[in-house]
Amino acid sequence: MAAIIEKESLIGKAIPKMDAPGKVSGHTRYIHDLNLPGQLIGRILRSDRVHARIISIDTKEAEALPGVHAVITAKDVPNKPLGVTKDNPPLKGDKVRCERDEIAAVAAETEALAEQALSLIKVEYEELPTLFDPRQALLENAPVIQESKPDNISMEFDYSHGDVEQGEAESDVVIEDLFKLHYVTHCCMGVSGVIADFDSTSGNLTLYSNTQVPFLHKREFASVLNMDPNRIRIIQPPIGGGFGSKLDIYPFEPIAVFLAQKTRRPVKLTFSREEEFLASPTRQPAYLRLRSGVTKEGVLTFRTLDSLLDNGAYTSWGATIPFVMMQTFSSLYRVPHCLYHTTTVYTNNPYAGSFRGYGNLQATFCVEAHMDKLAEAVGIDPLQFRLKNAQQAGETSGQGMHFKSCGFKECLTTAAARSDFGKKREQNLTAQRDDNAVKKGIGMASMLHVGGGAKIYPSDGCGTILKMDDFGHVTLMTGASEIGQGSETVLSQLVCEELGLPLSAVTVVNNDTDITPWDVGVHASRTTFIAGNSAIGAARLAREKILNAAAGTTAMPADQLSLRGGCIVIDESGEAVITLDKLLRSLHFQERAELVTTSFYYEPPSVHQDKAFKGDVSASYAWATQVVEIEVDTLTGVVTLNRCTAAHDVGRVLNKLGIEGQVEGGIVMGQGYALTEDLLIDEGHCQNPNFRDYKLITAPEIPEIDLSFIETMDGEGPQGAKGIGEAPAICMAAAIANALYNATGVRIYEAPFSPEKVYRALKGCSQPLEW
Amino acid sequence: MSLTHEIKFTLNGSPVSLTIPLTMSVLTMLRDLLNLTGTKYGCGEGECGACTILIDGVSVNACLKFAVDCDGRTLTTVEGLVADSRNDPLRTAFAEKGGVQCGFCTPGMVMQARHILDNYPRANESQIKRGIEGNLCRCTGYKKIIETIASVGELDNKG
Amino acid sequence: MTNFKSYLAPATLDEAVDQLNQGNVTVLAGGSDLMLRVGAGNYDPSHTLMNILKISELRNITFTESEVQIGALTTITEIMEDPELTIKMPLLGQAADQFASMQIRNVGTIGGNICNASPAGDMLVPLLLLDAAVELARQSDDGVASRRVAIKDFFMGPGKTQRQSNELLTRVSIPISNKGFRARFYKFGTRPALDISTVSIGIGGIFNNGYLQAPRVAFGAVAPVPFMALKTMKAIEQSPLDSERIKEIAEIARDEIKPIDDVRATAWYRKQLVHNLTIKVLSDVTDA
Repeated sequence: MAAIIEKESLIGKAIPKMDAPGKVSGHTRYIHDLNLPGQLIGRILRSDRVHARIISIDTKEAEALPGVHAVITAKDVPNKPLGVTKDNPPLKGDKVRCERDEIAAVAAETEALAEQALSLIKVEYEELPTLFDPRQALLENAPVIQESKPDNISMEFDYSHGDVEQGEAESDVVIEDLFKLHYVTHCCMGVSGVIADFDSTSGNLTLYSNTQVPFLHKREFASVLNMDPNRIRIIQPPIGGGFGSKLDIYPFEPIAVFLAQKTRRPVKLTFSREEEFLASPTRQPAYLRLRSGVTKEGVLTFRTLDSLLDNGAYTSWGATIPFVMMQTFSSLYRVPHCLYHTTTVYTNNPYAGSFRGYGNLQATFCVEAHMDKLAEAVGIDPLQFRLKNAQQAGETSGQGMHFKSCGFKECLTTAAARSDFGKKREQNLTAQRDDNAVKKGIGMASMLHVGGGAKIYPSDGCGTILKMDDFGHVTLMTGASEIGQGSETVLSQLVCEELGLPLSAVTVVNNDTDITPWDVGVHASRTTFIAGNSAIGAARLAREKILNAAAGTTAMPADQLSLRGGCIVIDESGEAVITLDKLLRSLHFQERAELVTTSFYYEPPSVHQDKAFKGDVSASYAWATQVVEIEVDTLTGVVTLNRCTAAHDVGRVLNKLGIEGQVEGGIVMGQGYALTEDLLIDEGHCQNPNFRDYKLITAPEIPEIDLSFIETMDGEGPQGAKGIGEAPAICMAAAIANALYNATGVRIYEAPFSPEKVYRALKGCSQPLEW
Repeated sequence: MSLTHEIKFTLNGSPVSLTIPLTMSVLTMLRDLLNLTGTKYGCGEGECGACTILIDGVSVNACLKFAVDCDGRTLTTVEGLVADSRNDPLRTAFAEKGGVQCGFCTPGMVMQARHILDNYPRANESQIKRGIEGNLCRCTGYKKIIETIASVGELDNKG
Repeated sequence: MTNFKSYLAPATLDEAVDQLNQGNVTVLAGGSDLMLRVGAGNYDPSHTLMNILKISELRNITFTESEVQIGALTTITEIMEDPELTIKMPLLGQAADQFASMQIRNVGTIGGNICNASPAGDMLVPLLLLDAAVELARQSDDGVASRRVAIKDFFMGPGKTQRQSNELLTRVSIPISNKGFRARFYKFGTRPALDISTVSIGIGGIFNNGYLQAPRVAFGAVAPVPFMALKTMKAIEQSPLDSERIKEIAEIARDEIKPIDDVRATAWYRKQLVHNLTIKVLSDVTDA
């Protein structure tokens, strides 16, 4: 009697993370836990000046210290500059431009010896005039930071669609405000680290790196080291958090390589937490001036945006956030006319990199403040105003983005209904006048972000190689890296859905450039969508091969067969015909002598933006609305976040546990950005490089979270899913700002809303914001 | 006149004898001398809880503890905790309920969870939150970790 | 390599004070503060490291008719959870509850916290409020001698106390308050715990007929050391406390303190907080 196997889908189920057990038991080895035989410890000497010419570096004493194997400075290494505009040499030889600057590096037998060696290096500087305020960077006599850019401009962007002059003319209300966004930093729980290991015979380099972009990294390193890229292998140990911090190539990694080259021994270089605060990239701070208009019927007319970004001393990905901000200003809600300008200027401040949301937090902060203000100005309910201007499926934005699947309106109505937004808002407005010191506020904000990759690099694709052994075990080799977000689990889930196997049948290999096929990297919330489609592609090819083979052996047509429960079954009845492993062995060991191995490269059908920054840069777009409920203690300015009701257009829920974890984590990250996190830079020096004074949200502070997932079933997405990694962090600050206004009648235009800042605003004695 | 000191203590149920420098922290001793890398360096300043272990049954930040004081004491690290089948419910709950993403804070969370469950068995959600306020997490937003600990507490209280 | 010259772990108070008398000793108790200082290079490597955690007689909580005596090695957690202390002196438990995290409370000792004399000093404000005294032991010809110092006289400056280098703080004594004594402690911080507070405030007294008699007011984190606000106390004594008078007293409190600007808060804001929180805490204390 043949077994009957029912159809069972894994999609939407709560699937525990595959690597969780090893992490729980402490057996997972992160970069800090890896040690190679014979390794030396690397350490970097950083500048104590922020703008100075280097007159001399005396390393003699350090070199003479027993146990020190190498001391290097700029003159000892091929010092090709790194970064987006190649302005960041790994070691600084002529001048220093910010407190991060790497002057020298040592490799020694122990950490203590390396530290001691650093203290023996003597540097002579000639101070130069400093520049800390980006608003002064373009003045006539501003100090020049990078000689190749005497005007201090790193990048400039202009964008427009429509005609804002016409837009202004059509407006009944026009408002303009200046917003200021601050420095925050990733605070990954695992600090940065790298191990560089040259094979002494072949000269090949193995780099143990936590990069989020291993293949781009390989390419960069080949260039920086003047090495044949074939001789470079990147292995990615499990990462203690990424959030975008590991997208660029930063000096500490080439420095470790130079030390390994010089000493002919493996060199391990890890940061202290203080160094992590000082030397890893921040989120991009910004001055943003937004001018918006609306008709008295409540139709948005135009947005004009001018922004000034502090590039810091060197250019990293932070300078490119205008690409993402443009999308928000041009396309979050329907805007017929838009004009946008950014200038990114050099200063002696630390430089920014990429950070979850990549400019969208800053842009949404402005747009959603104006949505509330414009609604109030024309006397329309804020939810209705948003619904009126929210796009629907089928629309194309002014920037040329095609919204094929779009759950924007459902996000708005769902979040508003579940939070009882309208009623609470009215109650809070009334309560503003009572004499209770604690005021309640409710605020709403939405966001738009790419959900199907982002075609910035020549390819936005991902490769998968899938092999099945003769027991039916699947090895999934994917180019997509795992940075804690659960990519290995969701990719396995998608493959098991195609092949009718349990997750225990899958091993994922995703961390070795010698083994895995190409992927551009983990960013732009692209992994589920693009790596997912790639994995499905490979799995479907395997499925096809298997079913065709089964058709051969069972004399049933392949299109009537299916894979379920580790068997080949008759699709209609579920009757098991043969077990999968038996079928695979029949392929392998008998006459056909075939293995089931397949590969698939998925390139999304998006395009590169043209020179006017227009184009469908992603294969899909995602929306979310978050409604937050706060309490403000007017005696102290403390804002407590009580509740967040979030509705996210995710296309489709794949791993229920994974997606909830991403959204809950992003909400709390957004809460920190809005309320407690502030990296204080004074005269180019970080004042709070520690957890005592840089405040991450702790467990007692989290809000109640209510999540709704709007399933718009994206046509291109894997099983209909869209990307989610960044979305939940993006509109929290904007929503909290709106809630503050609802609670107190006071609007604050700069984050974070620290107690003192809120208190000053309530008392009418805020520091003025100027640009 | 010696710069080191010999200590004898019980580690994960087994006796250990070590000679250590006077200023060495328990964290450094565990990771560098005993190759027990489950206990993590998160900040070295007692602010993040990634280095949480149990000493004489009570949770502490290993980065702030002088190793010399381990003499005569009983230490438990995550490796030992997880090997003890008494902790299977805790171990499987953490692995299965979504409280692990990058996992770097996880060993510290597991150790602190054990302390909370042992000392405050009827801890409600609010008390659990206070209980892990010294453990920072950047990935999960804490919610699933709190649910994990609460679920084990319920199990303990029933069984 | 950073290090100390030698190490010992005495089991009795006798041995400990004898060693202290010889000089050049750094005391190790819970270790949290010392480890941070060692990490910062802020210690004397020519010193002997003396671990006092084995001196069991220093770790206890005893009640007499008139006072409670808490041994210097009693941990913050133990103070928080002692059932009798919770009933007789709830203020201490309230302050302990807002102190750092469980992990820190489990090893932090009351003696260490007092000797560290941090300007914020969360546990120190309630001790000032409750008119505590510390006992300091030293070597003498007749064995171990000790002297008592009122806590309000004990702090000299950040990290500086009256303790001489040959003395060991052995216990804190706190008088059990008179019937009718009420006190409230409030710690402001930009998160519930794990924060060196921007401001903490304690107010206590015997509430009688609209007056707060024998008032005690102590502030933390608004001065180099936690201190008693004498002007404010004097003002409270003078008249019955209605909401108008409470506002006036809040202004006196605000003007009495001279805080600094730092990364955590500006002086102006600290003054505002003291003003507003004085109203809140004083109203709480005088409420039915």
